Amino acid sequence: MAKRITVDPITRIEGHLRIDCEVDGGKVTHAWSSGQMWRGIEVILKGRDPRDAWLFTQRFCGV
Amino acid sequence: MRDEDEIVRESAGGPYRQIVARGVSRRDFLKFCSAMAAVLGLSGTFAGKIAEAIEKAERPILVWLEFQDCAGNTEALLRATKPTIAEIVLDVLSVDYHETIMAPAGKQAEKSLEDVVKNHKGKYIACVEGSIPLKDNGVYCCVGGRSAIDIAKEVCGNALATIAVGTCATSGGIPAAAPNPTGAIGVKQALPNVTVLNLTGCPMNVENLTATVVHFLTFGGLPATDSIGRPLFAYGERIHDHCERRAHYDAGQFVKQWGDEGHRQGWCLYEMGCKGPETFGNCPVVKYNEGTSWPVQAGHGCIGCFQPEFWDKMTPFYRRLPKVPGFGVEVTADKIGAGVAAVAAVGVAAHRIARAIRGKQDKKEDTE
Repeated sequence: MAKRITVDPITRIEGHLRIDCEVDGGKVTHAWSSGQMWRGIEVILKGRDPRDAWLFTQRFCGV
Repeated sequence: MRDEDEIVRESAGGPYRQIVARGVSRRDFLKFCSAMAAVLGLSGTFAGKIAEAIEKAERPILVWLEFQDCAGNTEALLRATKPTIAEIVLDVLSVDYHETIMAPAGKQAEKSLEDVVKNHKGKYIACVEGSIPLKDNGVYCCVGGRSAIDIAKEVCGNALATIAVGTCATSGGIPAAAPNPTGAIGVKQALPNVTVLNLTGCPMNVENLTATVVHFLTFGGLPATDSIGRPLFAYGERIHDHCERRAHYDAGQFVKQWGDEGHRQGWCLYEMGCKGPETFGNCPVVKYNEGTSWPVQAGHGCIGCFQPEFWDKMTPFYRRLPKVPGFGVEVTADKIGAGVAAVAAVGVAAHRIARAIRGKQDKKEDTE
């Protein structure tokens, strides 16, 4: 019988990652990765002065 | 004969034991204490009191929560170019939970957090990085299957104090910029009844976090704040008033175009959109990367990242501020905002007139 394993949060990375996997007979049969955080910076950028874009997109990730 | 360092090393406890174990000399430690007294706006005589407090302090427990963030504040905390005493002082905090740097993952990670809340209720410090989204039941930020607001309520609600690091955690920051697609807000807005100290900045200056921790160890409490919960020692004065290019502003020497003669000469960046006249912070004094530089020194205007909602209120970043407060070191953070606009308009008008008169006089002198 398939067993579901979830690891959330994945640490030592930044970005709120979650991994789900389905294990059947000691083998991973399915796996899903998902980002658990969304800010919508693409939506926020719309209609703004293009010269400001680099300051916004730079904040996607601070690492 | 035993030297002073050795004697202190043996008798020390708490964080100080960790500091001496890292090979920091007594002299360097005292220098650090003096520097911290200066950042906190205290007289030099407080250095001894700070040193004594750090020597005697118990190791404080800290948890670091990341919500709608970019880890920029985490980087500010971790990425010193070389190990500094400040880094070591922050290191002596017992950081029991920090997703970006902790070894356990998944359920084990969450257990570390649960243990702190359960075993050290009311005694730990919670640092929060990133905003809290409320729209659609908080689905836009979840950790371990729980929403950010749910985690914040429990962890910040049971903490001795919460420090909101960065502009996202203090007022929503970039996720809260129009049209704020996720309904993002700051920690204090999400949890009005919780004690929150706001260290704004994109990212915050780690020197200010260090000074806050030192203040906490020395005086057993959080520093005095302005009306939006920011410590006055760091946010009490206007960037414009301590700017190294201020003399050029007063002399009417402005950069008109990137790379022009004025830019090469280090003239004032006001006309290129610098937000220093409306931003409160100690950037020009404390600077970044161990006092190496700060944006204006590097040749770019201030973008006003210490001010709440700067992504909407300070943009377009390259447009000149329409109203600039007048001369002097007279404006405080609490006066800025709606109230200062009128004063600012008068101030800038007076300044323009003064400049115009000066200009005419110069011309007159030329022709004479």
